Amino acid sequence: MLIHALLSGFVFGLYFTLVGLGLNLIFGVMRIVNLAHGDFLMLGAFAAYWLFTLAGLHPLLSALCVFAGFLVLGIPIYYLIVPRLQQSRDSEMLSLILFFGLSQIVEALAAIGFGSGERSIPGKVLGVGSVHLFGQGLPIAWLFSGAVSAAAVFFVYLYLYHTRLGTLTRAVMVSRDEAMATGIDVHRVSAIAFGLGLALAGVSGVFAPFMFGSVTPAMGVEVNVAAFAVIVVGTLGNPVGTALGGAIYGVSLMLMQTYLGSWSNILPNLLLIAVLLVRPQGLLGRAARHA
Amino acid sequence: MLHKALLLLGALAALCLLPNAQAQTSPTEIKIGHIHATSGPFAAISMPAYYGLQLWVNETNAAGGVMVKPLGKKLPLKLISYDDQSNPATASTLLNQLVTQDKVDILVSDSGSVLTAVAVPIAKEHQMLLFDMTGTGSSLFAKDNPYIVLLADPVSTIWPKDVADFLKDDGAKDGIKKVALLYATNEFTNTQATALRNFLKAAGSPIEIVYDQGVPTNTSNYSVIINNIAETNPDAVLELGYVGNDIAFLRNLGDSGQKFKFLFTIYSGLETDELVKNVGAAGLENVFTYITGVWLANKAEVGMSTDQFRSAWEKAYPGSGVEFGYNSIAGYTTGLVIGQALGMADSLAQLDLRKAVFAQSGKLETLDGHFELDEMGAQIGEITPLGQIIPDGKGGVRIGAIYPHDVATAKPVYNKP
Repeated sequence: MLIHALLSGFVFGLYFTLVGLGLNLIFGVMRIVNLAHGDFLMLGAFAAYWLFTLAGLHPLLSALCVFAGFLVLGIPIYYLIVPRLQQSRDSEMLSLILFFGLSQIVEALAAIGFGSGERSIPGKVLGVGSVHLFGQGLPIAWLFSGAVSAAAVFFVYLYLYHTRLGTLTRAVMVSRDEAMATGIDVHRVSAIAFGLGLALAGVSGVFAPFMFGSVTPAMGVEVNVAAFAVIVVGTLGNPVGTALGGAIYGVSLMLMQTYLGSWSNILPNLLLIAVLLVRPQGLLGRAARHA
Repeated sequence: MLHKALLLLGALAALCLLPNAQAQTSPTEIKIGHIHATSGPFAAISMPAYYGLQLWVNETNAAGGVMVKPLGKKLPLKLISYDDQSNPATASTLLNQLVTQDKVDILVSDSGSVLTAVAVPIAKEHQMLLFDMTGTGSSLFAKDNPYIVLLADPVSTIWPKDVADFLKDDGAKDGIKKVALLYATNEFTNTQATALRNFLKAAGSPIEIVYDQGVPTNTSNYSVIINNIAETNPDAVLELGYVGNDIAFLRNLGDSGQKFKFLFTIYSGLETDELVKNVGAAGLENVFTYITGVWLANKAEVGMSTDQFRSAWEKAYPGSGVEFGYNSIAGYTTGLVIGQALGMADSLAQLDLRKAVFAQSGKLETLDGHFELDEMGAQIGEITPLGQIIPDGKGGVRIGAIYPHDVATAKPVYNKP
C-alpha cells in the first residue's frame, strides 16, 4: 500500500504541478493572485469536453487548441484588468477581491451555459487498463496527464531560462520597477506571462475529467485551494518550485487517503499552515527572490 | 373631544387591520418557498428536484390552481426559490428570508440531507412545517419536533436493508464472505454506512467487513483507495457516495482494470442517465444499486405516470443539462403531496397541514412507492430493493430487480475478479 501510495502520489503531484504552474507564473511576474485560476481550468475542461463531444477531438489535440486559445484570450484580459490593478496602492490585496469576483462571474456564466450536471470524457480515449511501474499498476490516463504535466514544466523551464523573452520575464519577476527602468516592455512581457498562465490552467483542465472523474462549473474553488497550497509549499513566485510543491501535495494526499482517509480534505490547509509556520518563504524561497 | 379622538383612532386601527385580516383569511395565492443549488457539489441532486417541483407548479397552475379546502376554491401557486449554491450558510440565510420576508405558506427544503439539515432548526424555530424532499438522514427527525415530514425518499436507515439481507442470504450462498465498505462522510451516506455495518455485523451474520473507511464527500480521486481495497481481497465492495463520488469511483475503477465480484453504488440506480453519460453503459455493467421510482413500475394514485412524467420533463427542459432521474421524481412527488395536503387540511395553519400530510400516510401511492410516515415524520413506506445494471446493447442500460425475491425480475450476475 505504501509503495502504491507514494508512486500514485508522485504522478498525481505531477498533475497538480501543472495545475499550480500557471497560477505561480502569474503571481511571480505580476504579484497578483488569480483566484479565478480554477475557473479557467474549468473552462479548459469544458472546452475539451465539447471538442470531444462535437468534433471527436482527442484530448491531446484539444490541449494544443486550448493552449493556443487561452494564450490569445489571456492577453486582452491582461490589458483590460492588470495595468489598472497595478496602479492601485495595494494591488496584491485588491487582486484577491477582483479575481474572486471574476471567478464568481465565470462560474455563474458556465452554470447558465453548460448546466450544473457532471461532464466527463470517456477514460478509454486515453487508453484502457493500467501500466505497471515498480510492480504497481497505475491508470494509463494518469500517466498521460503526468507526462503532459512534465512536458509543461519542461516547456516553462525552457521558456524562462533559454529564451530571450524568458530572460525578460525573470527580470520582471525580480523587480518590475527596475525592469521598466532598463527599458523592458513590462506590459508586453507580463501580458504574455498572463496568457501563458491561463493557457497552462486551460491545459490542466483538459485532463481534469480523467483526474477528477468529472467536471462541473463549480469545481474551480476546490482546485484553487489545492493549487494555492501547491505554490505556497513550492514558493510563491517560483514556477520551478511548483514541481516540488506538486510532488509534496500529491504524495501527502495519497498517504492521507491510505492512512487517514476521512481527513484527507484538510490536507491543503495543513500544508499551508505547516509551511507558513516553519518556512513562510516556501521550500525554495531564496530561489524565488533571486531567480 | 377625547371620545371622538378615541373613536377616530379605533376606526383607523380597524382600517389598518382590515386588509391584514382579509389577507390572512383569504389569500389570493399559495406561496411555496424553496431553495435550490445551481452550482456546487449538490447541484446534481438539487436541480432535478427543483425542476420536478416546478413542473408540478406549472401543471397545477395550468389546471386552474391548487384546491385549498379551507377556502373551498382553487388558488394559483407561486414558487419562490432562491439559489443556495450548495452552501449551508447561504441556505440558512435564504430560508430565514423565505419565512420572515416572503412569508411563504409552504416551506420546502433543498434536496439532500446536508442542505436539509440547516433547514430543520429554522423551520422548528419559526414553527413552519418543513416539507422535506430528500433529506433522509435519521438524525433530522426527532420526537420533539413536529415540524418536518419526509415526502419522497425513505429515511436513510431503511435504504440498505435489502442490500444487507441479500449479502447475508443469497450473497453468502454464492460465496460472498468478505465485504469492503467505503462511504462519504456526510449525513446521507454516513447513516447508511452505520445501518449497513449494524446489519452485517448482527449475530449469526456470515459476512466479515474487511475494509471500512470514510472519505470526505468532495473526494474526486479513488485510485489509491481502490488499490487499498483490492489488497484486502473483498468479495463485495459497497461504495456509498453522492453522484460525483460514484462517477469518480467507477471511472477510476474502470481505469485501474480492477474488478470486484460484487460492486454496489447508490446513484447508479438513482440518477442513471447522469451516470451513463459520465461512466458509460460498459462502466456500469453488473453494478448493483438501489431500484427506485425511476425503474419500479409504481402505480401513482395522483399525478402522472413515470412515462408521462418523463415525457413532460423532456418537453419542459430540453437541453437544460439537468437529467431526468430519481430526484426529479422526488421534486414532483413532493409537489403532489403538498397539493393533496392543501386539499385536505382544515386550515392553512402549519400543524393542520402536518395533520393533512399524516392523513395520507399509509393510504397514498406515489411514483416513489407506498407513502407512509412514522411518528416523527420520517418516510418508511417507500422501499429501495436491490437491483443490478444491465446494458441494453444500444449504449443505454436497464435495471433488473434482484432482491427481495418477491420483486425480483433477474438473477444476480457476478464479475470475475
